This record gives sequence, structure tokens and C-alpha cells, in this order.
Amino acid sequence: MKKYLFVILLSLSLPTQAITLDDLYKRYSPEGESAFDAERGKQLWNQKHTAEDGKIRQCSTCHGNDLSKSGEHVKTKKVIDPMARSVNAERFTKMKKIKKWFKRNCKWTVGRECTNQEKGDLIKYLTQF
Amino acid sequence: MTQQTKSILVWDVPTRVFHWLLVIAFAIAWLSYEDNRYLDTHIFSGYTFLGLLIFRLIWGVFGTHYARFQQFSYNSTEVISYIKGLFGEDLRHYVGHNPAGAWAIFALIGFGLALTLSGLFVLGGEEQHGPLAGIVSFRQSGIFRETHEVAAYGLLLLVFIHFCGVITESLLHKENLIGAMFRGTKSADTESASVRPHRLIATTMITVILAYVMATFGGYLTETADQPYLPFKGPELVQNELWQEECSDCHFAFHPSLLPARSWQLIFKQQADHFDDDLDLDEETVTELLAYANANSADLEQIEPAWRMNSSIASKDTPLRITDVRYWKKKHEEIDAEVWKRDSVKSKANCAACHLDAEQGTFEDADMRIPGDNSLDSIEWLKSVLGGAAK
Repeated sequence: MKKYLFVILLSLSLPTQAITLDDLYKRYSPEGESAFDAERGKQLWNQKHTAEDGKIRQCSTCHGNDLSKSGEHVKTKKVIDPMARSVNAERFTKMKKIKKWFKRNCKWTVGRECTNQEKGDLIKYLTQF
Repeated sequence: MTQQTKSILVWDVPTRVFHWLLVIAFAIAWLSYEDNRYLDTHIFSGYTFLGLLIFRLIWGVFGTHYARFQQFSYNSTEVISYIKGLFGEDLRHYVGHNPAGAWAIFALIGFGLALTLSGLFVLGGEEQHGPLAGIVSFRQSGIFRETHEVAAYGLLLLVFIHFCGVITESLLHKENLIGAMFRGTKSADTESASVRPHRLIATTMITVILAYVMATFGGYLTETADQPYLPFKGPELVQNELWQEECSDCHFAFHPSLLPARSWQLIFKQQADHFDDDLDLDEETVTELLAYANANSADLEQIEPAWRMNSSIASKDTPLRITDVRYWKKKHEEIDAEVWKRDSVKSKANCAACHLDAEQGTFEDADMRIPGDNSLDSIEWLKSVLGGAAK
């Protein structure tokens, strides 16, 4: 009985449990961290894309140019918490959020979903801050 | 007019205090009716007005000699003969109210009661506040609003007639009647006697009204920038954590009572292209969000904004943006383009910038302030004045 309870409690805590960076890299490549490159991530982060409406979209459109400062949703102007883990320890700790935002934001910015390689590169670049 | 005259106290202090406070309350009500932000002030003046009228009705029975209704109940023959006398030789002087003035007073009290009582119905119906909240429905409130408006203009006209009468009388009798309503004294024949002033009752009236002022507006003096004073508290609307979390990812979490159920259904159906974003919400999430939206949508008309928004949307239309709804546009058309651009506002989607209760979804009229306007400054000014007076 206790065992079942333990399993249930564990499974309940799973979705919100913080994920380590190592586990995160392993999800995107069997080789783990060594497969990813911060420099490539940086290029991706700064890459400009032209949207259907002719406007330039890039990560900084909403996240701003200083990763340690808050960004602003380009349309709704809602404040977006800083990306830098030095000021926002929450970043890259919850798998659910990581999945959600990679999917939503890659589609909006790049126009397609990002590949696992790109995601890992971006994480390696962003977690430097 | 060869009779000897003397000056006696005709209007006791409570009658005079009643008169001038009624004037002030009526003026405040006119000044505060148009802008929804001052609805708390308007309601304050309305209750004060009604309270004063109730006092006058009691005082008209138990008050001093010239304040009693019985003393100035004249029939129409007396009124007509009095008015005719004004233009002829037969100029009659009354110590208390003259017949024409007496009729004006009864009409003023009658219209005043119609005005405040219809106001209570509007408050109960449109705002769902006050003693008639929940008793009068949104749709029933229309007739009371019309009554309220007619009574307000009627009373204004009566005030004008009353004022003209006072001026005419003052000139014809060479007696300052406005001054008499301040001092309380009038000239009378030697047989008439002064009434008792009843200062204690007048002091009590003023104290009660000052306490009411503090109860209504005192919150403005103790508020802070983080915790602004909300004069109105709307009903507790159903909140949903998931809704709050998912919506406020990208924008203010608009309460579902701002759009009809068919709009929410379409929004979730088109979630892959939600104003340029692919929300990619899983089925479970959509089911919960949609159930919450359906159970609290504008068509249920749980609160005034829901009713107003829903009533202004044609049944064939399915708006996807709150800012596309006619009622929303009408309510915000007078706001300058510059206000939307302010750092504290920035976007029309930022409801909470001005609506202090936007997160609760109640959007009460008086819980509204445009940031950067001088409203807070005037409070600061008032605080400094009161602080200075205290020293």
C-alpha cells in the first residue's frame, strides 16, 4: 500500500519537478551536452526572419536585447521575465514550459518548429547568462 | 402695511442646514453623473439627498412651527389668489412660506423622492448594488433610468422656478429671502414669536453626513500606490487557475464574461492561429478552459459589463477581440490616443492599467483610474491640506 502511495506521489510530482541541464541535453541528443554549441545557439538567437507581414522577427523582438532584463510582448506589451538564469532562476527548470515555449516561439519567430539540435544549441547559449 | 414689525427666527437651524445641504447634494449629483469614474460620488450625493428628504418629512410633522407641512398647506384657490395679488395691489406678506412657495416646496420634495427612489432602482438594476441589487434585473432597469433622468430635469426646472419665485418675492416685498435662509430671521408682525433654533439636531445632521463622507471617501486618504482604494466591490466571479495561467502567458487574462460563449468556442477552435500564435494547447487543457469559458461567458449576463457587451453584439456576429465589440468601443472612444501610448498602459489589451478590479473581472464603474492623470495628485494635495489642518 505504501509503495503504491509512493509511486502515486512521485508521479504527481513529476510534471513540476525541476529538470537538470544534463537531463535536458540528453533529451535532445544521446550524446548530451557535448553535442551542442553555444556559438551556434547565439547565431540562432540573433538570426532575423521575415514574417508574412513583412516585418522582421527575432528572439529579441520580445525578449529584448539585454537578457538580464525583462522583455515585452511585441503586440500585447505584456512583461516577459528575463531569460538570464542569474536573475531568473526559474528558466530552463520545467520541462512542460520548455516544450511549450520552444514550440510556440519557434513557430512564431522562425515559422517552423525548431530541431532538437537547435533547441540544445539555444539552451547552451542562453544558460551562460 | 402700517402694522408694526419685528425680526423673529422663522427657519430653525436644522431646516436651514437641510436646505443648503440639499442644494449641495443636488449640485454634486449633477456634476458627477456623466463620468462613470465618479459613480461613487454620485451615489454618495444621492443617498445624502434621500437622507435629507427623509429628515425633512419627519421635520415637517414634528419640527418647529414654520417648518411643519400643516402650517403651509394651502389649497389651489389660495395659491391663485396669492399669485394674482403679486401683480396687483393686494400684496400679502407671509411670515413662513407663502402659498406659491409652499407648493414649490411640496413639488420639490415630491420630485426629489421620485429622483432618489428611481436612482435606487437604477443602482439595483444596472449596477446590482444597493438595497435593490438582485431584485431589479438589468433589463428592467431601463424604465427606472428614464424615470431618474426625467425626475432630474424636472427637479432642475423646479429649482429654477423656486429660485425665480424667491427673487421675485424678495424684490416685491423688499426682503432678502436668500439671506433669510442663511440667518433664519424674517420680519413678522408683533404677535408672531421666534421658533426654537434646535442647534443640537443640526449639529447631529452635520456629524452624520461628515461620518458618511469619511466612510465613503476615507479610503482615498489611506490608499497606497500598490493598494489603491476600490470604492465598489463587485460580486465574486468564478476564477480558474488554468485560465489565469494560460492566458496571462502572453496577455492580460480577460475574464470570460467579456465575450459570448460562441466567441470563446471559435477562439479555441482556431487556437493554431491565435492572433498569429500557435497556442498548441493539448486537448485536456482546451476542454477545461472551454468549460470554464462556457460557464461564465457574457451571454449569461452575470454582471453589468457582461450584459452590456452581450447586448451590443448582434446574434449573427462572433467577435474574437474584446476591443471589436461595439460597447467596448463606445466606452473607450473618448480616451486620447496619447493615453494608450503611456508607459503605464501601452496596449488596449492592458485592462488592468485603468480598471483596478480587472483581474476579478468585475469592471465596476468607480474602480477606474487613468494612470498618469492627476487623480492621485489631487488626493496627495487633499492629504497635504488635511495634514496641514491637523497641525
